[in-house]
Amino acid sequence: MEPRWQYQFRVIMLGDSTVGKSSLLQRYTEGIFLDTVNQTVGVDFYVQFVELEPGLQVKLQFWDTAGQERFRSVTRSYYRNSAGGMLLFDITNRTSFESIRQWHQEVTDTIQPFRMVFLLVGHKSDLAEQRQVGQREAEKLAASLGVQYVETSAKDASNVVQAFRMLTVAIYQALQTGQLVATEAWDGVKSSIPLPVLPKAQALEKEEKWKRCSC
Amino acid sequence: MFVVMSEEDSGENLKDETSYKAENEQKTEELGCSESSEGRQQETVPVTRKRPEPKPPSQPAVTEKPAGETIKVSDPPAVQTGWGYWGSWGKSLLSTASATVATVGQGISNVIEKAETTLGIPSPSEISSESKDGVRGSENPAASNADAADDGSSFPIAGALEVLSTISTAVQSTGKSVISGGLDALEFIGKKTMDVIAEGDPGFKKTKGLINRTSTLSQVLREAKEKEEQQTATEVTMATEKKAHYGLLFDEFQGLSHLEALEMLSRESESKVKAVLNTLSGEKLDTLKEEMEQLKEAFSLPEFFEEEEEEKKGDEEFTKEVTELFSELHISSTPDKVITVRTSAHEWVAQFNSSLPKEEKENEENQEVESRDGDQDAKKSVEDIHAFAIRSLAELTACSIEMFHKTAALFLYGQKQEVTATDRAKSLSQLTIMLCKELSAFSKEFTTCLTTAGVKEKADVLNPLITGVFLEASNSASYIQDAFQLLLPVLQISLIEARTELSQ
Repeated sequence: MEPRWQYQFRVIMLGDSTVGKSSLLQRYTEGIFLDTVNQTVGVDFYVQFVELEPGLQVKLQFWDTAGQERFRSVTRSYYRNSAGGMLLFDITNRTSFESIRQWHQEVTDTIQPFRMVFLLVGHKSDLAEQRQVGQREAEKLAASLGVQYVETSAKDASNVVQAFRMLTVAIYQALQTGQLVATEAWDGVKSSIPLPVLPKAQALEKEEKWKRCSC
Repeated sequence: MFVVMSEEDSGENLKDETSYKAENEQKTEELGCSESSEGRQQETVPVTRKRPEPKPPSQPAVTEKPAGETIKVSDPPAVQTGWGYWGSWGKSLLSTASATVATVGQGISNVIEKAETTLGIPSPSEISSESKDGVRGSENPAASNADAADDGSSFPIAGALEVLSTISTAVQSTGKSVISGGLDALEFIGKKTMDVIAEGDPGFKKTKGLINRTSTLSQVLREAKEKEEQQTATEVTMATEKKAHYGLLFDEFQGLSHLEALEMLSRESESKVKAVLNTLSGEKLDTLKEEMEQLKEAFSLPEFFEEEEEEKKGDEEFTKEVTELFSELHISSTPDKVITVRTSAHEWVAQFNSSLPKEEKENEENQEVESRDGDQDAKKSVEDIHAFAIRSLAELTACSIEMFHKTAALFLYGQKQEVTATDRAKSLSQLTIMLCKELSAFSKEFTTCLTTAGVKEKADVLNPLITGVFLEASNSASYIQDAFQLLLPVLQISLIEARTELSQ
């Protein structure tokens, strides 16, 4: 039986087909990596619990969408109820990187007036020798979108936990600062406790911690 | 699932019951126990209780006539007959439940009847006759096996009917909204029933709450689940509570999420269908409407009716049939998950049954001196069985709904259609029946396990567990049927697309 949680964040995985959305989630939630993964049909679901700070349990509910264009009109309807979005591209696939802006734009437009906290993820960092997208370049894009950037590999598990933690912390902070507001009509964030207001100092300290993680 | 039964239905049902009577008797000897026996037993044998022996020769010297008699009457009439024929399932299940819990809480049969009335039965007199028919329908086979006098007292008909007239007037004022919310109301039967058992609340509060509901199935389930979560938060101490919460487990297996996603697809398709219909007129519109009507028929109840009652399916048979039906859909997906879950649950039951003879000996040894330890062991195992049963029901249902969701996604985005939408609908309805039959077979097997393991339990411990399994199985079946219905707009869109392809 699942642990009790104070928050539930719904997170949607976004990005072109074959960038490794499902693989990243499987590594994160099940600790496994499969060389061949079945193409996602419509959407799949994963759950992971994170203890953000002692006693603060967050349930992450992932909507792992199909990247394929033919499923696009379905996945579009899933955007609205997500608190977080992982924008994935494959560092060995230039086209997938170039789609990111479009993904970001489409989601942002679709979910109006709601907001979503994004994280840009350059995936398959284990394939460094086939790299088609530079880290600086990706960081620049992230900055222009106002999001953070991290490079991960589901295969060698590097930065996987960190990436999800970054996004979780970012969502949590957006809640603290009021950028995201948990409401009845929106399923992005559920809370089993009233939203606590952290003292500023504590919030700052947390931010620093998180910056250290993200490197 | 529809509880209202036409005369034709009950007639059909009775026929089935008669033809299966012989078999029931035989089964009774084998299984020798059921939930309804518990109710009776409490009246006749208040203290001593013994597990009915599977093999008559092994009946020990300690003879217990009352228990023996109970075995005879103990075949669960509604269960045996309703099972397999899904259409009557909800009905039989409910009357079974009333019989079962009659001794536990006076309220329950009333509540069940109450829930039935919320399904849109228009007048008090009709309700009374309907429910009489229903009770009688499930009672008859019992009467043929047991003596009639015993029968009358063991079913809470009089009480139920008395309350019914009060209820029906109360429900009447809100009748219309009830009809439209029929399916939602049904899902609540299980939950509400259990609520009332727990709270001893015979009032209308709950029923009224659900009458006004306009939300979708997944919303309803989510609310129910969240309620359960809150409950478990306060009652963490109770191990069973935590382990066997259907709603929590159903969500854990991603049933809620897949249902929600399926609802999204269904809603989207529905509005597309409307948009298309708005652009058409005259002959084109008529033809399309006609075709859509045919498609709709494949989704309706009479289709299920054709399915004959069958013997319990073996593992291989189920696998083969589900796989075949699924392949008829011509989509790039498999029902493997459902098959795996189903198979492992059956293996568990088989293992339980094969471990029985051992346990029996132990019981015989412990029979005279019932140690407290022994009691605790039995209790634990009953709760384990219950927990496993609820878990299996939740998992099988979640996987079934996932299967429907994936199917819908593939229908919507599959390129060429090798099969017509109507053919797909027919295969899907067969699949739905198979799954519902499986659920009923499950609940039967699990409750048999429960009665076998819980022979030493008091009725007020065992009965709620058994009722819980039946009700959650019934709930499961209605979720699956609802999920199936959500596919209609999706297939309507495929139908429209196929026509456009043709005309081009």
